Amino acid sequence: MISPYGLDIVESCLTCKTRSERLFCDLPAPALQAFEGIKYATAYPKGAVLFVEGQAPRGIFVLCKGRVKLSICSTDGKTLIVKIAEPGEVLGLSASVSGKPYELTAETIDPCQVNFVKREDFLRFLRDHADACFRVAEQLSEKYNAACHEVRSLGLSHSAGEKLAKLLLEWSSKNGEATKMEPRLKLALTHEEIAQMIGTSRETVTRLFADLKKRQIVQSKGSTLIIRNKTALRMIATNN
Amino acid sequence: MESATQTSCLRCIERPDRLFCHLPAEALKAFDALKSTIECTKGDVLFREGSPCIGVFVLCEGRARLSVCSESGSRLTLRIAAPGEMLGLSACLAGSHYGMTAELLDSSRVATMKYNDLMTFLREHEDACMQVVNLLSQDLHYAYERVRAVGLGKHRRARSLTVN
Repeated sequence: MISPYGLDIVESCLTCKTRSERLFCDLPAPALQAFEGIKYATAYPKGAVLFVEGQAPRGIFVLCKGRVKLSICSTDGKTLIVKIAEPGEVLGLSASVSGKPYELTAETIDPCQVNFVKREDFLRFLRDHADACFRVAEQLSEKYNAACHEVRSLGLSHSAGEKLAKLLLEWSSKNGEATKMEPRLKLALTHEEIAQMIGTSRETVTRLFADLKKRQIVQSKGSTLIIRNKTALRMIATNN
Repeated sequence: MESATQTSCLRCIERPDRLFCHLPAEALKAFDALKSTIECTKGDVLFREGSPCIGVFVLCEGRARLSVCSESGSRLTLRIAAPGEMLGLSACLAGSHYGMTAELLDSSRVATMKYNDLMTFLREHEDACMQVVNLLSQDLHYAYERVRAVGLGKHRRARSLTVN
């Protein structure tokens, strides 16, 4: 089935080909059947808000396709992007388990397919299926470790340059680029969004990129960024 | 003075007030048989950031400072863990290294469980697994609060929790 957003919607988890590669989705048959009975497959366009920080938890959102921006906001309107969620992640998990308000705002940055499960159904599902409960514990652990990493990165970096260098090295370590001399990465975010990831202004990010390019540490070709001097970038990241 | 917590979880009177410890009888017995109890002094380190995960630590008595460290040695306190909390859980479940350092702030009694025993215990006791999910959800709430304070708060506030 083709949705209005150009997505090839997978209606049933039972026939999903990517299930085995995903931590939460790769459930034993009985749990998968039960999950199939409580989930609602939905498609969202780019820019749709799945849930808002402070809102009472309605349920969980399993991201099947597309990416979602997870952010927190200060009272004066400053936004900090905590994470870009990838397919396979379960969003709104800790709030749905604890019953506390969502801690983050989730906004799609691509057209997305999401499987929504109501909170009450999800909690019952966890109690009935120990395997699923274990998978959820694993997902929460990963999220917790990532949040602590974020605190370290934000709290112990001395400058915006250091934070940007760390972010670029982190991105370059994904997609099999880590071992390459000159790793390439696709910059899918705007300077404004990168600024929101490292807690600085758009102007600072633009200035820092200009400086990195001038020093031939990075080079951009369209939306692709090539790290030309990994050693120099590491030096900036470690404040040396 | 006799302590409210006991070496055996079965006789601990603090248990009903604690999120993880308040387990059904069967799970509690299994936990009690698998865990060891150690007496620690103030300043002891339960685990260090970056070291391989060997197991979890339940604070029976005493508090622990959870902190992360930069390459240059600056330390940032994530939070202070209170009695009843299970530490090192996320590292065990993610099968990774400890992501923080846990240092005791008081003389403490700590129940420890080895990694392999914890995995077996959680797979065999659904109630305990659900408790762990609740604990991790709570930990994640605290972590996001910390992200907000450090990332969106005033610099003075973030630095106030940094010690060298």
